[in-house]
Amino acid sequence: MSVAAGGGAPSKVEPMKLRIYGVVGGLVGIYLASLLGPMTGNWASFIAALGVIPAVVLGANSVRRVCSYGIGTGVPSIGMLALGMGIVAAMFGLAIGGVIGPILGTAIAMGFGYLIGLITNKAIKFNIPVMEEGTMDLGGAGAITLLGLSVAVSGSADYAAIQMSVIATGYIAVVFIAGSLAILHPFNANLGPDETQDRTLTHAISTAALAIVAAGICGIGTIGLPSVLTVIVGFLVWIVYFKKFFQLVKRDAAGVVGTGLLPPSAQ
Amino acid sequence: MDAFSMGLLAAMGALATVAGASEDIESDVGSQSNPNSQVQLAAQVGFPHRIYNKAISGEPPSNALWCAVAAGTAMVLIEKFAMPALLSIALGAAVAALFNGVFSTTAYMGRNASQARFNQYVFLDVLRTHTTTIMAHAWITAFCITCISYIMAYVLPMTHPFPMPLIAMIWGLAVGAIGSSTGDVHYGAEREFQNTPFGAGLNTMDSGHIVREAEAGVRSSIDNAWFCAKFGGPATGMAFGLTVFLDNWRATIFDPATQGVLVVATGVVIVIILNIYNKMLENYARKKYGPYPEYKGDIEA
Repeated sequence: MSVAAGGGAPSKVEPMKLRIYGVVGGLVGIYLASLLGPMTGNWASFIAALGVIPAVVLGANSVRRVCSYGIGTGVPSIGMLALGMGIVAAMFGLAIGGVIGPILGTAIAMGFGYLIGLITNKAIKFNIPVMEEGTMDLGGAGAITLLGLSVAVSGSADYAAIQMSVIATGYIAVVFIAGSLAILHPFNANLGPDETQDRTLTHAISTAALAIVAAGICGIGTIGLPSVLTVIVGFLVWIVYFKKFFQLVKRDAAGVVGTGLLPPSAQ
Repeated sequence: MDAFSMGLLAAMGALATVAGASEDIESDVGSQSNPNSQVQLAAQVGFPHRIYNKAISGEPPSNALWCAVAAGTAMVLIEKFAMPALLSIALGAAVAALFNGVFSTTAYMGRNASQARFNQYVFLDVLRTHTTTIMAHAWITAFCITCISYIMAYVLPMTHPFPMPLIAMIWGLAVGAIGSSTGDVHYGAEREFQNTPFGAGLNTMDSGHIVREAEAGVRSSIDNAWFCAKFGGPATGMAFGLTVFLDNWRATIFDPATQGVLVVATGVVIVIILNIYNKMLENYARKKYGPYPEYKGDIEA
């Protein structure tokens, strides 16, 4: 079920480029939202949610890279791993970092991810060439996704505010699971020998938009009306990228037909 | 235990039974989780099909998402807008069902598009007819689980310390895990391989050779839901209903704060009794139905 096991998936967009977009885009979104938050009465909180999109794309691409080496059933697990690493590191970073909390949390998550990759390759002997890089990206993507969605819910990157309006209320459950499915679902849903990077990453943008909608709904319970904007923005992004995804499905599929009997076997 | 708590406990057990059954059938319509590997493999070994390929993730994470989204939305409506709980939960489950529909649709389209070289088409009529069925079952699951979480978080005399969305996520994981381990066997091992002797297990050479034709015409995944609703769904419902009922029963008859040891001891006794019962059931089934005609006994090492 995997793409050319052992060879890795062909990519048009370089991982380094996606890494820069993901980390910088995500952190800029988080900082902009928390800086503009008090001035705009939390109407800027949707910017943090938008920053989640490049981070989810980064995460989905690293799931794609790592899982192309034959980890079929491990796709959901690696998505959970991403947010698992992310939540611990992000909260730790926020708790001790103050203003630089989000940067610290992301850096710790990436370091933590690299270490897990190293253990997986050296101790468990997975011998996947991109494992360290992949888990490093996953940790970073998980931390930024979690932080971005949490800031969208609470309107602030302050640890106390997130603790009160995201963790104590239980919305962390929605943020966690929606964020992890946003990262793992794109490659899982497109898995197969004819998977293409642009289709998977376009799909990642649409799943990130769904996570934004989910966080936006939770935000209505905490910051109120401004969060409706997050829901609307997420919904608009989803419509655009779902349509793009459908176009790419039509491009890649053997046939998109209204109905029909069993297709003829290719063999 | 007072009558009020006993009534709530019974309601939770009943809700969990319905949730388990609907969860299993929802996953069977989409061929999610364990049986999915065979649906995915079918086209690759020369059997393109019209079965729904809903590869979202394992059942636990996906059900955790539906239930967490339903509970999160319901909590916003209850706490922010002071809406009635039942209506809020119903609306929350509707939002969760929409999420389910999107994830299911993209999984079907994505997986089939990635099998282009094996002539696996994307059938839009399959999407239109099946996705709504899947969403309807997901709505029932999310509704029941959110009701259970609401009872635990707000109504029980001793409310749960966790907030509602978190409880819903945990129960979502649990219902997915139980659906995956209990009900999938009925669909994956039996329905997909009705062309092999009943109960024979899956021979490696039969991998991917799933039944694609029905009694009349081409088999659809809704046919599979009809089949699984007879046994797999109810069995999953019973398993999950018992899990929720027994787990909460032991914490209701004893006070977890002061009688923690008794709560744990009751749990251990329940596990021991269930293990003995399972062993008896297995022995009975082996004696009555096995060994299979071609089975010649264990080969000595």
